Amino acid sequence: MFDVEPILADHKDVIHDVVFDYYGRRMATCSSDQTVKIWDEDEHGKWKVASSWKAHSGSIWRVSWAHPEFGQVVATCSFDRTATVWEEVIGDKVNTTTTTVPPTRRWVRRATLVDSRTSVTDVEFAPKYLGLLLATASADGIIRIYEAPDIMNLSQWPVQHEIANKFPLSCLSWNTSTYMVSQLLAAGSDETATPTGKVFLFGYSENARKCVKMETINDITDPVTDVAFAPNAGRTFHMLAVASKDLYIVNIRGFTDSSGNSKLDLQTVKFSDHNCPVWRVCWNMLATMLISTGDDGCVRIWCINYSRQWKCAAVLKAEGGGPTYEPTLPTPSLANTASATAKFYKKGTIGNQVPWH
Amino acid sequence: MSDPPVFELGDKLATRCGNTLSGTFLPNNKMALSAYRHKNTDAFGKPEEPEAIRAISEDPVLIYIAEETSLYGEPLLRSLLAEANTTFTTLQKLDQKAAKAEFVNISQAYRSIVRACLEKLELAKATPEVLMDEQRLHCTSDAITTFYAIECLWQLFEILYIQGLQKQIIVPQLLDWTRFHFPLTEGRATDLLLMAEEASDSDDYWSTLKTLIMLGEVGVTAAILTQNRKANRGPFEAAINMLKAMPLYQHGYAMQKFCSQWEFWRAEGERKIAANMFAAEPELEILMELVVGNTEKWDAGLAQSNDWYEFLPGYLLYTNPTCKPFELRMVATAWLNRWSRVKPDWEMKSMSRMIMQLMQHDLKMFLYESQRLNDSHWFATHLIDLIHHSGQLNAYCQQQKVDLPSLRQSMLLEFGSYLMTSLNLWQLGIDYLDSCGQEGYKAIETILSHIPLKSERLSLKLIALAKQRNLADVEQTICKVLARRCYDEQRFSSALEWAIRSKDPVLVNGITDFILKNYSETGIMLCKDVITYIGARMFISPRLVFLCKYFEFYELYRKRDFLPAAELLINLLDSKITPTYFWPSLLMDSLPLLESKDPKLFSKETITILRYLELELEPLIERNKRETAEFAFQTSKTVLRDYRVENIEELVRMLRYACSRNLARTFIIEGTASSNK
Repeated sequence: MFDVEPILADHKDVIHDVVFDYYGRRMATCSSDQTVKIWDEDEHGKWKVASSWKAHSGSIWRVSWAHPEFGQVVATCSFDRTATVWEEVIGDKVNTTTTTVPPTRRWVRRATLVDSRTSVTDVEFAPKYLGLLLATASADGIIRIYEAPDIMNLSQWPVQHEIANKFPLSCLSWNTSTYMVSQLLAAGSDETATPTGKVFLFGYSENARKCVKMETINDITDPVTDVAFAPNAGRTFHMLAVASKDLYIVNIRGFTDSSGNSKLDLQTVKFSDHNCPVWRVCWNMLATMLISTGDDGCVRIWCINYSRQWKCAAVLKAEGGGPTYEPTLPTPSLANTASATAKFYKKGTIGNQVPWH
Repeated sequence: MSDPPVFELGDKLATRCGNTLSGTFLPNNKMALSAYRHKNTDAFGKPEEPEAIRAISEDPVLIYIAEETSLYGEPLLRSLLAEANTTFTTLQKLDQKAAKAEFVNISQAYRSIVRACLEKLELAKATPEVLMDEQRLHCTSDAITTFYAIECLWQLFEILYIQGLQKQIIVPQLLDWTRFHFPLTEGRATDLLLMAEEASDSDDYWSTLKTLIMLGEVGVTAAILTQNRKANRGPFEAAINMLKAMPLYQHGYAMQKFCSQWEFWRAEGERKIAANMFAAEPELEILMELVVGNTEKWDAGLAQSNDWYEFLPGYLLYTNPTCKPFELRMVATAWLNRWSRVKPDWEMKSMSRMIMQLMQHDLKMFLYESQRLNDSHWFATHLIDLIHHSGQLNAYCQQQKVDLPSLRQSMLLEFGSYLMTSLNLWQLGIDYLDSCGQEGYKAIETILSHIPLKSERLSLKLIALAKQRNLADVEQTICKVLARRCYDEQRFSSALEWAIRSKDPVLVNGITDFILKNYSETGIMLCKDVITYIGARMFISPRLVFLCKYFEFYELYRKRDFLPAAELLINLLDSKITPTYFWPSLLMDSLPLLESKDPKLFSKETITILRYLELELEPLIERNKRETAEFAFQTSKTVLRDYRVENIEELVRMLRYACSRNLARTFIIEGTASSNK
C-alpha cells in the first residue's frame, strides 16, 4: 500500500523528466512546454514551485543536477540543439528596518552549449570525483564531455572530449563508482534499422589520453531509450539498467588483462515482465530497488533479494480508479500549492494488509 | 512465486495519452510518478498529433509523490523502535557460545517491548484526541492488529525454537500461549467465580465451562463447579474429584511413571462415563466427555471456536500430554484436517497460516510470510537476527538451503536504511547498518552524505558519525557543501572556514581567489576573523598561504609597523605564489613604502620591486591591451578590472618614479654607511 500525494505541476505539456537533487529536497521538472521548474519541499513535506522559466525554444528532454558542492546548478538539454547550464543566484539582501525579507533567488543562464547540430537528447553531470564535468548525447551520435575549469565561475565550458558514434544516441549515464574502472560512461541508441548492439561503454584510456569506446553490449540489439548506472553500494561489480524492448540489467566487471589494459566483462540479464517496450529506468539510492517504465501503462518496482536476484515487487498502473484529482478553479495563488492527500489500495489478495483474526 | 501486487493510480492524463507513467526514486525511497509519453530520437521534431495536445489541455499535469504506507507515523511506535534498537545492540554483543538462557532473555525482551507498546497503543486509542482524528485512529488500530499478531507469533516461535525444549513436553507452554491470546473466556470465568452460587443460573454457564475445558483450564473449571448449587450432589462431586485428580506433569518427574498414572486416570474417567455416573447432568457429562477426549464432543466444540489452533493445546492436554516438539508437526496436520472437516468453508488467513507453518516446522515459508506483515520488516529483521545469533536453526537452514547470514544481512541492510532514510531515525538505523559488514558500511557512507544539512548542529553530528567510522569522504562532502552554501549566501567567513575544514585545495583556492580579488577591487579585506586564526592549516593550498601572508603584511601595515611590513612584502614578491591578478595590487602596496622619507626598503629590495614590475606587471598590461583591443565591443573580463585599471599607465609611472627616488635615497644612505666603516 502506498500513500500518494498529487502535486499540480502546472506544465502545459507532458513532463519529460523529473529529477531530484542530491538530498531529495528539490525537484527539477522539464517539459515539452519549453519550461523548467524548480520545486522546493517545505518543512511539512509540501512541494512548492520556487522558480519556473522558459529555458529553451524546443521541447526539453532532460535535466540534471550538479552535486551541491558546486552550488545550485542544473543542466538542461533540448530539441533546440543546445544544452544549457543554469545556476541559482541569490539576489541582494533587502534590508528593511522592520522586517527581514528573505533574499530573492533566481536562476541565471551561465552557459549555452551550442556544439550539437541536432537535438541534444540527454545531459548528465559527471560524478564529483571527476570535478565539474558534463556529458551530452545527441541525435547525431556524438557524446561531448564539457568541463568547467573554474568552479567559482561557470561561464566557461570548454569541450574536453568528443566521441562520435555511428548511431543516433538517445541516452547516457555516468558510472559513479571507480572500482577497477574509471570514468565509465554508457550511452544507448534507439536506432531501429540495424540489428547490432545498441549500448556502448566508454572509458578513459591512459594510453590514448582520451575517452574511447571500450565495449558494445551485443546482447541488446533492440532500440534503447534509457540507460542508468546503479549507485555503487560496496559492490565489486557495476550494474547498468537498460530500457529497451525489455528491461535488462547488465553486470559489468572491470579487470586488467595480461598486457595491462583495462577490460570489461559483461553479463546481461533480461526481464520480460513488461512484455512490451520499456522507456525509462531509475535506481534508488542504495541500488536495492529499480523502477522501470513500460509501454504497458505500468511502472514496475524491482527489488533485489538476499540471494541477489531481482524480483518485481509491485506494479503501479496509470489507469484505474485510484485517487482522483479534481482541479480547483484557477486561482493563481493556490495553483502551485493545490494538493490533496489520497491513499490507494492495492488490488489482489496478497500483500501487506493482512486481516488478522 | 506469486504475482506482484498491483496498485492503481488513475491518472487521467496518463490514461488518455499513451497510458504510460514514469517513475523516479527520491533519496528517501519515495517515488515521483507522472504521465509520460515517449518520443524516439528520429521522431523528435515531428509536429505533435492534435489529439494529444487536446488531451493535455484538458487534464492537469500531475506529479504524484508516493510513499509506502508505514505504521511508524504513530508516535508511540517510535519508542518501540528505540527500545528494540537497544535490545538489538545487546544481542550483537552475544556470540553463539552464549548460554541458551541469554537468547531466551533477548527474545523475551523483544516481546515485552511489543507488549508494553501494545498497552500504550490501547490506552492511546481510547483517548479523545485519537478518537477524533480518524487517520490516527486508523493508524493506531492497524498498529495494534499488526503488533498483536507479532507478539502471538513471537511467543510461539520462542516456545518451539528458542527455548530449546526439543526433548521436553511442550503442552503446558502451548496452553499458556493460547490462554494468553484468547483471554475472553478467562475473563468470563473470573466473573463466574465472583458470582459464586449465582453463576449456576447464568445463560453462558455451561458454554463458558466447555470453552475453559477446551482451553485446558482444568483447575478453574473445578473451582467454578465447586461453587455450583448442586456441587454436593453425586455427579458434581465425581466430576470435581476427577478434575482435581488429573495428574499434571512436573519438571523432574519420571516420564514413565507419569504416563502410567495418566493412562490410569483417563481409563477411570471413561469407565465412569460408561457407567452413566454423570447421566443425570447432561451438560456435565459433555464436560467429562471432553476431558477424556471424546471425538464427537470435541468436533462439536470445534465448531464454536475462532481459529484452528485455539483448542489444539487443550486437546493435547487430554489426549497426548507428553507431546514433544518433533511430534507437533503430525499432530498439527491431523488437527488442521479435522478442523477443515468441521468448518469446510473456513478460509485460512495469514496469521493462522503462519502459526501452522511454525507448528509444522515449515520455517522457510514462515520467514517468507513474516516479511509480508505491514511492519516494514520490524519483526522479520529482529527475529532473523535472533535466529542467526542463537544458531539453533543452523542445521535446518543448511538442509533447506537458506543462506541465513546473507538473509540476515539483507534484512538488516534494508531495515537500517529504511530507518535512516524514510523515518529520519538515522541514529537508530546506523546501528543496524553497522552490523552488516562492508555493504552496511557503504550504505552508511551513502546515506550519511545524503542527509539534508538542515542546521549546523546536525552537520556537526553527521561529521562526528562519519569520523567514528573513518568516512573521510562524507566529512569532506559535508564541509564542501556547507562551504559552497555559505559562499552563495555571501557568508564568506563561514565559507572559508568550511572550505579549510574540507581540506579540498580546489575549493579553498576558489574562495581565497574571491577574497583576494575582492580586496584588489574594493580595498576591503573580508573574513579577517577567520584568516587571523588559520595558522598551520594554511598549507592546504599555496593560494591560502599567500592570503595569510598578505594578511599579515596588511595587519603590520595597518599598525604602521613598516619595517617588518616591507620585509614581508619583498618575501611575498619573491615567493612565486602571487596570483597573476594580484600583481598590480601587490606592487601598488609598495608605493607608500618606497615614498617614505625615511627609507623602508633598501636598494637591493627596490631593484627587486622594479624587476617584478618589468617581469610581471608590464606583460600583464600588454596582454590586457591586446585582449581589450580584440574584443573592444565586449566588457573586459581580464585581470586588470579593478578601480585602478583606467589609470594603470599613470600608476606604473608613479611606481617607477617612486623606485628611482627611493633608490637615490638608499644609495646615499648605504654609501654613507659603508664609507663610515
